[in-house]
Amino acid sequence: MTGTRAAFRLSLSALRAHKRRFAGTFLAVLLGVSFLAGTMVMGDTLRANFDTLFVDANTGTDAVVRSADVIDAGQGGGVREPVRASLAGRLGKVPGVAAAVPSVQGAGQLIGSDGKPVGGQGPPTLAGNWITDARLNPYHLVEGSAPTSEHEAVINRGAAKKGGLKVGDTAVVRTPDPLRVRIVGIATFGGADGMGQVTFTALTLPTAQKYLTTGPDRASAIQVRAASGVSQREVADRIAPLLPKGSEVLTGQRATQENQDEVSGRFLGVFTTLLLVFAGIALLVATFSIHNTFAIVVAQRTRENALLRALGASRRQVVGSTLAEAVAVGLVSSLAGLLGGVGVALGLKALFPALGFGMPTGGMVITTAAMAVPLAVGVTVSVGSALVPAVRAGRTAPLAALRETAVDRSGASWKRAAAGAVLGAAGIALAVVGASGSPQVPVTATGAVLVVIAFVVLGPVASTAAVRVLGAPLPRLRGVTGALAGRNALRGPKRTAATATALMVGVAVVTLFTVFGASLKATMDRTVDRSFAGDVAITTPAFGAGGSGLSPRLAPAVGELPQVRESVGLGKGVAKVDGGGRELTVTDPRRLANVIDLGSVRGSLDGLGTGGVAVSRGEAGKHGWHLGSTARLVFADGQRQPFTVRAVYERGDLSGDYLITRRAWAPHRVQDRDTLVAVAFKDGVSLGAGRAAVEKTAAGYGHPDVQDRAEYAKSAARGVDLMLSTVYALLALAVLIALLGIANTATLAVHERTRELGLLRAVGQTRSQLRAMVRWESVLVAAFGTVGGLGLGAFLGWALVRAADSAGTSAFAIPVPRLGVVLLVGVVAGALAGLRPAGRAAKLDVLKAIGVE
Amino acid sequence: MTAAARVVDAAKVYGSGETEVRALDGVSVDFPAAGFTAIMGPSGSGKSTLMHCAAGLDTLTSGSARIGDVELSGLTDKQLTVLRRERIGFVFQSFNLVPTLTVRENITLPRDLSGRPADPEWIDALVDVVGLRDRLHHRPSELSGGQQQRVAVARALAGRPDVVFADEPTGNLDSRSGAEVLGLLGRAVHEMGRTAVMVTHDPVAAAHADEVLFLADGRLVDRMPEPTAERVLDRMKAFDGRAPGARRTPQEVGP
Ligand SMILES: Nc1ncnc2c1ncn2[C@@H]1O[C@H](COP(=O)(O)OP(=O)(O)OP(=O)(O)O)[C@@H](O)[C@H]1O
Ligand SMILES: [Mg+2]
Repeated sequence: MTGTRAAFRLSLSALRAHKRRFAGTFLAVLLGVSFLAGTMVMGDTLRANFDTLFVDANTGTDAVVRSADVIDAGQGGGVREPVRASLAGRLGKVPGVAAAVPSVQGAGQLIGSDGKPVGGQGPPTLAGNWITDARLNPYHLVEGSAPTSEHEAVINRGAAKKGGLKVGDTAVVRTPDPLRVRIVGIATFGGADGMGQVTFTALTLPTAQKYLTTGPDRASAIQVRAASGVSQREVADRIAPLLPKGSEVLTGQRATQENQDEVSGRFLGVFTTLLLVFAGIALLVATFSIHNTFAIVVAQRTRENALLRALGASRRQVVGSTLAEAVAVGLVSSLAGLLGGVGVALGLKALFPALGFGMPTGGMVITTAAMAVPLAVGVTVSVGSALVPAVRAGRTAPLAALRETAVDRSGASWKRAAAGAVLGAAGIALAVVGASGSPQVPVTATGAVLVVIAFVVLGPVASTAAVRVLGAPLPRLRGVTGALAGRNALRGPKRTAATATALMVGVAVVTLFTVFGASLKATMDRTVDRSFAGDVAITTPAFGAGGSGLSPRLAPAVGELPQVRESVGLGKGVAKVDGGGRELTVTDPRRLANVIDLGSVRGSLDGLGTGGVAVSRGEAGKHGWHLGSTARLVFADGQRQPFTVRAVYERGDLSGDYLITRRAWAPHRVQDRDTLVAVAFKDGVSLGAGRAAVEKTAAGYGHPDVQDRAEYAKSAARGVDLMLSTVYALLALAVLIALLGIANTATLAVHERTRELGLLRAVGQTRSQLRAMVRWESVLVAAFGTVGGLGLGAFLGWALVRAADSAGTSAFAIPVPRLGVVLLVGVVAGALAGLRPAGRAAKLDVLKAIGVE
Repeated sequence: MTAAARVVDAAKVYGSGETEVRALDGVSVDFPAAGFTAIMGPSGSGKSTLMHCAAGLDTLTSGSARIGDVELSGLTDKQLTVLRRERIGFVFQSFNLVPTLTVRENITLPRDLSGRPADPEWIDALVDVVGLRDRLHHRPSELSGGQQQRVAVARALAGRPDVVFADEPTGNLDSRSGAEVLGLLGRAVHEMGRTAVMVTHDPVAAAHADEVLFLADGRLVDRMPEPTAERVLDRMKAFDGRAPGARRTPQEVGP
């Protein structure tokens, strides 16, 4: 007992004495824990805010009637068939039902007073009918009145603010057919400006039906309010028997729950998982840094520990004192990290809208788990990192007290080299196998993990050679100062490697994403280059659930222009094929080949009619179809329809895997819209002239973007840049932690070499030479980490691009300028990391330094 | 005879008030060019302090210190560093060599730091004098203590400095290795015309010098030209008898 207490006292006094040495560890844990806690708090807060949102949206709704079947082709929410609006009248008469109203909802993008679309960056841009039953309508008028005619609309207050619109203004709603409306009222949602950042344009029921559905008697769902005293369950039970086949009723509570689950599962799930992955990377990097700090501190304290052992301290006591130190550092820094985490969450909440991601607002939600988990992780990471060094400290022989303090100079042990080589070879082999032939992501991923481990294991073996190569030009550049910096970096291969590895992991992930993004872009470029045979493309840029698509009347209108040879619209539909949701391309297949190169086509695209489908070769192969085979498609309305495969085409990268005619799709469609209009000009028409003409016509259809081929390729890859900048921002933290590690190692090294530095100063090294020497050493370590990370990341990027490319259509690209910037940033950051230690080294008093024992 | 280095009315005070220590208390001394001077005195008498101040490693509280005709008190840190590099050589008691550099690199270090190439013939000659030709590419950790100190002497002489300051250069060596190092310093003075100032506790070491200065309580209390080990030993014994009293008998200070 007293022994434990003695050990604890020792570690506390050690902490007090070496506060500076642990500053880096403290910061590393703090940052990692902050990120983790921030992510969790942010996730909980968003989830709670979304939950409130849906409760508000469905408040007053006791039951919802809708089509039972849903088809999910993996793009946003599932697609449901409309129900008959007239059903509402019948349901209204059911005893216990106070009100039943049809609800129509579809995509409808409002154009602001500046001519630009309002919203569309993530949250949906909706249009629907103004529900006249005030208690069923989650929106409430705060200004003006409800719409009464086709050209009147109410918009939510948030949309009004963003679009600079007020009552009495006229505005255009892309439904996608541009609908010119006068704004007659402004509404709030549960007292707030809107349902989160969703924009909502409310029309009269007939208008909504005309523009947002395919027929007058259609509705997305029917909302039911129960009479007082009738429970949600009861009213649902009474309605159920009256419903036509294919429809279902669910209670208001269930509907709310479903919405909440959907957002949690789809959007929030992906979002928080992404953040957690990056928090994990930051913590992994932190672990390397912390482990390194403890290893160095223990090495530096060898004499002290040996003295303790010689004086009778047990092995346990020495181990215990080091571990107690780790617990203390971990606990204090994790607690600070929790505070930081709340700050991070607040910051993210403020940042996302600024970046254009709309998020609902509301108070912060801090759960116990969001505090307990990061705290536990922080302490575990600290203690885990200190474990090996602590055991090593316990093994200190009492005799070591009499020897010179020995720095661990080992590194390139035979065993280590062999183990690393075997791991590396196995990893590379797996990664390559998974990436070639028929690609398999799991195999490649396993290989990738092995390669990363091999890099870590081989670090000390490679560091000597790598630093030699990287440092080779230094003596020529910086004379003896450079030579000394290089030699210093070679002093402890294990230490150099551990310091560099942290950075290497960070840079590898940065590189991986950079390569992946560049490859995606290259793929897009190549696709457009190869498959887009037109001159301009008309699209509506949107992201997430926003946007509205293009009017189906645009393509024919453009086709009328004298400059235009061909103008084909492509819309999207969904159907189930063999049980799985698939996206269909709804177009005029016969003319499609004039604007999109489908490669070689077997069979004919001419006579698809209402019973024929054209399928890409890849998809046909998967289902074992040939010309004349029957493909069974199940639509959202539950209809099962056999289609004959009339053509098999080579390339589906731009056109999609299934082509059907508009006539075949018409019975199943909900809202009629195109996503792309591909236009080819007549011979001799210049791009400028043709484009101007198309733009003029398109202006009448809500100002969609008219893009030439290069712009089209670029806009198709627009999400990639957004993804990359998000990833860079998230990885910045991991890289920062790695750099802190480099700074920390440099500080510890300066401390360890005090006498040597004093000697150098005595025999004539100037302060600036000394500073340069320390800085160049950090630069070398950083360069080693960065170059290693670039290599590792590029390889992993290649393997993953290949492995994920089942269709064999992806291009692989190494963006040299961008990676050059990464290298530059790594090296410059290394110099920055060395700044403070260098400054401290230069401040050393020469005489005191020489006198230090 | 001109002075290679000199201090005039040198005083060095550490701390203030109750804890004030006068490490040097009005010392004036010339170190003649091409001369070998030893400084002796009881522990704490200010020997190291005098040497550090004379060599520009430390600054005086009052008084002046010169190397040749350069007054040190007005120089910036940068100027002092350059002066040390160009005109002074150092040999410390231990830890004289940079562990990451080879023997040869350690010898040329001050020159390399100045960015000007060392004179290869001179370095070559030095290497032969210190007898380390077969060790040029070894690291300091592969040398014995005596060899390390010989390298340090070679390093101190490599830049052809005006003065070599050595603080107990033989303190960690056995008598044979010590004699080698002292012999080297002697040759540097008598054959190469350098100036050497050495702090030592060892009367035998002091006997290699041309003159011995005795310090006590921060004051110069005696000087002995043409010393022999026995006479130095006798003089030292006198301190032990009445060490603190030395200050009260200034008439003992020699010419
Ligand atoms: N940095 C310092 N702060 C306070 N006092 C100091 C400092 N350096 C030296 N002293 C004091 O100045 C006096 C002279 O010290 P100095 O090191 O010059 O002695 P020395 O003659 O070299 O002794 P030794 O033979 O033990 O090396 C001593 O009393 C010492 O305690
Ligand atoms: Mg001394």
